[in-house]
Amino acid sequence: MGDFVAGISVVCFAASYAVALAFEASRLFFRSGVRGAALVGFAAAGLLAHTLFLLWRAINEPAVPLSSEFDWYLLAAWLLAMGSLWLTLANPKTPVGLFFLPIVLLLIGRAEVASRVPFPQSPATQAWGMIHGSFNLAASVAVAVGAVGGLMWLIQAGRLSRKTTPAQGFRMPSLEKLAALTGRSMVVAATTGAAGFLSGMVLNAINQQSGLLETVPWNDPVVLRMGLLVGWLILAAVIARVLAHRPQGPRVRAWLSLVSLLVLAGSMSWGLVGSSRHGRSPIATLTPTETSETSPATAEEDRP
Amino acid sequence: MTLALLGATHRSVPLAIRERLAFTTDQAIEAIGRFRDCFPGRELVLLSTCNRVELYTAGEQESPPPTSEELLRFLAECRGINAGDLAGHLDCQVDQAVVRHLFGVASGLDSMVLGEPQILSQVKQAWAMARERDSTGPLTSEMFQSALRTAKRVASETAIGRERLSIPSVAVADFARGVFERFDDKRVLLLGAGKMAAETLRYLQDGGARHIVLLNRSLERATELASKLGGVAVEWSCLNEELAMADLVVSTTGASEPVVDATRYTAIESARGGRPLVVLDLAVPRDFDPAISSRPGVWLYSIEDLAAACEANRKKRQREIPAALAIVEEETSRFMAELHHRHTGPVIEQLRAGWNETGEAELERLFRKLPELDSAARLEIRKAFDRYAAKLLHPPLVSLRDESHAGPPHGLLDALKRLFNLED
Repeated sequence: MGDFVAGISVVCFAASYAVALAFEASRLFFRSGVRGAALVGFAAAGLLAHTLFLLWRAINEPAVPLSSEFDWYLLAAWLLAMGSLWLTLANPKTPVGLFFLPIVLLLIGRAEVASRVPFPQSPATQAWGMIHGSFNLAASVAVAVGAVGGLMWLIQAGRLSRKTTPAQGFRMPSLEKLAALTGRSMVVAATTGAAGFLSGMVLNAINQQSGLLETVPWNDPVVLRMGLLVGWLILAAVIARVLAHRPQGPRVRAWLSLVSLLVLAGSMSWGLVGSSRHGRSPIATLTPTETSETSPATAEEDRP
Repeated sequence: MTLALLGATHRSVPLAIRERLAFTTDQAIEAIGRFRDCFPGRELVLLSTCNRVELYTAGEQESPPPTSEELLRFLAECRGINAGDLAGHLDCQVDQAVVRHLFGVASGLDSMVLGEPQILSQVKQAWAMARERDSTGPLTSEMFQSALRTAKRVASETAIGRERLSIPSVAVADFARGVFERFDDKRVLLLGAGKMAAETLRYLQDGGARHIVLLNRSLERATELASKLGGVAVEWSCLNEELAMADLVVSTTGASEPVVDATRYTAIESARGGRPLVVLDLAVPRDFDPAISSRPGVWLYSIEDLAAACEANRKKRQREIPAALAIVEEETSRFMAELHHRHTGPVIEQLRAGWNETGEAELERLFRKLPELDSAARLEIRKAFDRYAAKLLHPPLVSLRDESHAGPPHGLLDALKRLFNLED
């Protein structure tokens, strides 16, 4: 059993999700009596493999479980894949996976180029590190869910404006439901994003006081991009709130949620090219093994 | 011949004759009883709807189903009609055509409104009634079970019954439901007293609508409708206040000018607090100025928009016909193959029994010659004999099954009978 689980790779569950996505896309072209079961089967198989992969890493990781950038992206993808499967089961006529699975696959792809070296942590900062990572994870997932809700809202509103009946295999939830989903996601994203940023500041302050780990300066690219992201999320949530009782409120909310996803994607892409001290050990504490496991992008970032 | 059908459908028989042929439930029960008396040992399922009256009969080789003339006389007697008046109007089909027809009927392909699902429950009821009166048998039971399976396949694998065709159903299911998740917390405003508005309201009530306000220029008429449809009647002078509070408006007044123009709507827009408004304008000429649809949060559908959506749905259904017919054809072939294969049963049984008898005799002889064999060894030898016989029997069985797809495998059966000296 252990060997079997150890043999599960990222490709296994990414391929399962990709097949499930292909089944979802095929809804638009033809009907099938068995597609629903096949789609759920592949998505569930992918989720199972994904879960086992994360569990295996959590158990066998020498450091704090799932504390690397790689694990963080895979956890985000796992949460969205789970949400996608649940929503597919609850709404079998809606092509939920068509919206969620591409984001899941992009996150898995982003994980592949992320560092697998765990973020350095001392016993004093471990709890704050987990809080910081969890809030950021929740914010990112909420942004993705909100954007999916917003995109669905725009598609459904477009269909209702054109006064056409739903296309084959493309029945969207009601505008009312989608607007509520988008609105809640924006509030959750702004709140957890802000909490993640604040907990990062606390973490940094503890590091600075203890002197055990390297502190991140205010002008660090990660701090800047996270600050911009959180600032945008709060601004978007405030605008959505202000326009809540205006007729154009839901449409503006839908666009804001899509822009939030773009800002988040931009922020993640920025992380690929910028050099940062975020989540890095002081260079003297790095062991040769750790440096050799670091991805090319991370190796670049690790330079003083 | 094992299956026969005599029927009058909306396709070929005028309404006047169909009306005379239609059975009430009691009349159908009586007719089934009379059939059993007239044709003992035969099977009958009687399907009577507003669009068709059909007698599905079946019988085995020794007691074949009634002929078309016998069925015609029977039907005429049951309904008290001169058989001569019916001649030339009714369709008579036998065997595979009966199966194909029933499968098409159950799937809604022969309905006046293509793909309508109601016929399936009517087919089920007809079969259930026949079962209760013991007029079904193995043939009709298998045929009706297969018909239900075919209808299920057509419904799940094609879109023939999915697209809605009536204006009220499209208005509620495809448009109002696209905006609102639920209706029980929405305020529905009914303007005017058109028949279509009442039907639309029924769909909304089925969807959970509870808060219904009726406005008519005549308060008396509005009150009368409110008591009939459920809701509250309000003076026409309250139109602006009600518009400001409504979430969904169904309008069917007979006014020659728009009842709600852009100016009136703009005046009440701010009082709505940004809530979306769905307007189903079913009036001709229109009650709502089309310019209102450009206001944010307003989803305005005129009867023309809804009729166009219905027509698009009708075309979608038409496009599904080839796929549905392919399923019907596939299921018909499968059913007929199984039916034909039933003929081979007695021959196969004889063949198997003969081989088993020979095998048993040989085993007895072997065990007498080898008394030292213990029970385990004997059991193994017996199993080996059984496997050997099964493997020898497998190819002719497969050939018989394959041959059954093209019709009763009389040639192969005769050959088997002669080769293995089997009795008829």
